[in-house]
Amino acid sequence: MTKNSTDKLVTSTSGIELKSYYTAADIPEQHKPHVDVAPGEAPFHRGFHASGYRSKPWRIFQLSGFGKPEDENERIKFLLKSGETGFIMEHDRNTADHCYNVNHPEVVARCEDVGLTGAVMQSIRDTAICMDGLPVDTSFGHAGGAVVQHAPFALAAYWTVAKQRGFDLSSLKGTGQSDFNLTYLGCVTKEQIPTDAGLRFNADIIEFCAEFLPRWVPVSIAGYNAADTGLTPDQELGVLFANAVEYLDEIKRRGKMSLIQAAQGCGGVSFRASIHIIEEACKMRAARLMWSQLLRERYDISDPKVSNLRIHCVTAGSKMTYQQPFNNIVRGTAMALGAILGGVQSLGVSGYDEALSIPSEHAHQMSIRIQQVLQEETGIADVTDPLGGSFYVETLTAKLIEKAWTFFESIQKQGGYLAALDSGWLHAQAGENQYQEFMKTESGDQKIIGVNCFRDDESPFEVDGFMGTDDAFDVATERLNDVLRTRHEMGAARALKQLEADCRSDKNIMPVMMDALAAEVTLGEIGDVYRDVFGNWNTPIQT
Amino acid sequence: MSEPTTQALLTSAMAGNRSHLARLLSQIERNSKVETQVRLALAGIPATSVVIGLTGPPGAGKSTLISALLTHATASFNKTAVLAVDPSSPFSRGALLGDRVRMQSHGLGDRVFIRSMASRGETGGLARTTATAIQVLDACDWPLIVLETLGIGQVELDVMDLASMVAVVLNPGWGDTFQANKAGLTEAGDVFVINKADKDGVEQTRADLQDSLSLLKPPLPINIFETVAVKHQGVEALWRGIEAYLKEAQKLGLLEQKRLSRRRRLLMRILQRDFDVRMHAYLTSEYGDNQILGALAGSLSIEALRADLFEYIANVDKRPR
Amino acid sequence: MENSQNRILMAKTGLDGHWRGPTIVARALRDAGFEVIMIGMANTDDIVTAAVDEDVDLVGLNIGGHIDVAIRSIKRVQEVRPSLPIFAGGTIPPHAAKQLQALGVEVYPPGSQLADIVDAAERLTGTK
Repeated sequence: MTKNSTDKLVTSTSGIELKSYYTAADIPEQHKPHVDVAPGEAPFHRGFHASGYRSKPWRIFQLSGFGKPEDENERIKFLLKSGETGFIMEHDRNTADHCYNVNHPEVVARCEDVGLTGAVMQSIRDTAICMDGLPVDTSFGHAGGAVVQHAPFALAAYWTVAKQRGFDLSSLKGTGQSDFNLTYLGCVTKEQIPTDAGLRFNADIIEFCAEFLPRWVPVSIAGYNAADTGLTPDQELGVLFANAVEYLDEIKRRGKMSLIQAAQGCGGVSFRASIHIIEEACKMRAARLMWSQLLRERYDISDPKVSNLRIHCVTAGSKMTYQQPFNNIVRGTAMALGAILGGVQSLGVSGYDEALSIPSEHAHQMSIRIQQVLQEETGIADVTDPLGGSFYVETLTAKLIEKAWTFFESIQKQGGYLAALDSGWLHAQAGENQYQEFMKTESGDQKIIGVNCFRDDESPFEVDGFMGTDDAFDVATERLNDVLRTRHEMGAARALKQLEADCRSDKNIMPVMMDALAAEVTLGEIGDVYRDVFGNWNTPIQT
Repeated sequence: MSEPTTQALLTSAMAGNRSHLARLLSQIERNSKVETQVRLALAGIPATSVVIGLTGPPGAGKSTLISALLTHATASFNKTAVLAVDPSSPFSRGALLGDRVRMQSHGLGDRVFIRSMASRGETGGLARTTATAIQVLDACDWPLIVLETLGIGQVELDVMDLASMVAVVLNPGWGDTFQANKAGLTEAGDVFVINKADKDGVEQTRADLQDSLSLLKPPLPINIFETVAVKHQGVEALWRGIEAYLKEAQKLGLLEQKRLSRRRRLLMRILQRDFDVRMHAYLTSEYGDNQILGALAGSLSIEALRADLFEYIANVDKRPR
Repeated sequence: MENSQNRILMAKTGLDGHWRGPTIVARALRDAGFEVIMIGMANTDDIVTAAVDEDVDLVGLNIGGHIDVAIRSIKRVQEVRPSLPIFAGGTIPPHAAKQLQALGVEVYPPGSQLADIVDAAERLTGTK
């Protein structure tokens, strides 16, 4: 990009001006004392633990799922066999995101889409099939529940199945998602509960886990979708901590659990790893420092066990190109490298066919192989924080932190994170960046190999999209009817009624959700209660 | 396939052809001659529809409220047409029209007709052809027309001329933020809606409103409703309030007055537009230019210039081009 | 003719809520002088009703899921308004793109230039 010009302005994705080289003098004063602190020590920017990946390699954690629950089960087993070290259960987005059963008119209108982006799980019976034979007790499991309104169902289903199989909830390790940036910013659904109800759900989950599932990461505070919607790395940091503050303030207001415990629960976050390798590595370092700073300054928490942030990371799906898809294997590797250099605890690499479809088995395997090659062959895991002390990296880390706090403050000025979502302010920021980014590609200022340069007219290496199975809708319809016909109807009706009552009260909804799942209440019935009690979020539309 | 004529479209639309109604509305927007032709064709047909205008600051939730009202409104009137106006870009003259996103899942099928209109440079909260569009929908037997104004924050009083009644939609905290618009908005409303009433500040907003309203002497008492449109809370009560207002207004002959003023406005606009076109022709013609230069040079008095202009305007059609 | 802004309907056929593409395209089309009617996630009935009631000059579909879902909507629009042009973008794998093209739908997969999309809109609506 800079090959012929030394005087041209070069900036990072966050818009931070980059010099052609750095010296010790560039490192901002306030950051200098941190440079020589060991990893695992406050303010933690150098890493979660001193021995880093030597003692604990990052978790290979791939999003997976399609078709019927048994298809997803089979794919997860394939991934575990290929060396994945945790598993993610993805629910069919058509039904799950909206809390619809397959017989909802909006779903019937798109019946071929069902099962394309995750397995259909409408009752605990489906979840049981999907979890069949999975190492729930020894693995780190992800129960799904990406959007906020779906999370209580997904979590309760997972936990209830685990309980029925004789596992002790208090020893279960794993996470759900319940991701605000996905739900209200990056991936807005057609119908969903408003943000204030979403905040309540997440606080309920956090409190419930503190009591019954202490080893579970209750909700994922995630920047991924904010970033993939257009927010720059500094903004991704700012919005993530604005989100965290909204949860912690709510927990504090409710006063039912200790703030330290809540902070620990919230201390497993996730980010997007994009293609600017060094800036992305700096972003992970910045995140750890910011978290410890935030807890100390805003909540007076400095317990190192709590203020040491753990990071899961997924490479940027939107950087994967439709054209010349095998190039994406290289992009996946580069993005993974940035995350690893930043010291993340867990990583998913998007499939090389991301821009065409959900990952094929081969694309999925490649995502794992990329990580294995990096982990086992390159030596990258030998030394913790390999970039630490670099004049450039320390300077960029410090500058990102400064810029991220500025964005955090501008969100507070909007009335806080929830208000900035409700008003569409965050959407407008993201939209503007997206447009600018697009224009840079359009003009060729930002080259994308195979897209705006080095193009093929007719590619001999074309990949076609993976289309999953074609019987997911029919089987799901059969199974739904089966549940409705054979469940204990009185028990289901009673549980559903109690669910509605608890939704209308200020009780924690998780206990009644567990009861409802055990009574074989279905997803769509729960969704109907939500729509009745909470109404639909007023999606801010930019015009 | 040749395009049907304006008259054919109008006849067909009035006979219930929905796509021809839609096509006619676009032709009216595109071509002022078509608009004039349609107005003349409809001039003898009395207005019968009820037009409810919704206005208020941006983000107040007008579209969501309309969406929530549709079920009740359609139950009362059998059919509902919605005209939703959004701003055009002054630079490109393009527009993003997004109101339909919130309105389309009504489940009422053909009984609802929604049309998005770009303001196309018009100020005052409506599009240039909104008045004609209402006249057409009225003639095509849409008994209830809900009109959503721009909501760009300025005073949008044009809706008062067109609507049988105006609902002003506000949010808690309105008193602090929209100080400058207070007077204009309070004068526009026949009912007021504090939407998003689950947020803090409802009492204060109600008090502020009552304060401003106390200065007015409306023919009917002005009620203030509280709604949470996204949860459908208070929407039924609002609809009952709107119906009650309409009933009273009907009794007092207010609706008839409004219909008359709607038609008067249409007529005035035809005349105004016609006058503007003729005036423009005079000013840009070589002849008119010479006359003006004459007046400037003192060889023609201002009175003579005026008389000449009026004579020209009256006979411009008869002049050879 | 005056005020001859052409009108484009933009809809998303699937229920998976990624909005990235359509908003950028809508903005570019507005900046090129089009009136863009956004209806978000829409099923076949929503799309057909909007195409008729709004009397649009072009339909733009963002397609994210199974191609049969989009094809169903396309065929219904073509039944109701046979001469209305349609173009599509989104996650459309090559085999699906071929199916769309066979129905006369122009396809702009990820990585397409905005300028090309705007050109297509102008050509399909006869704006230029």
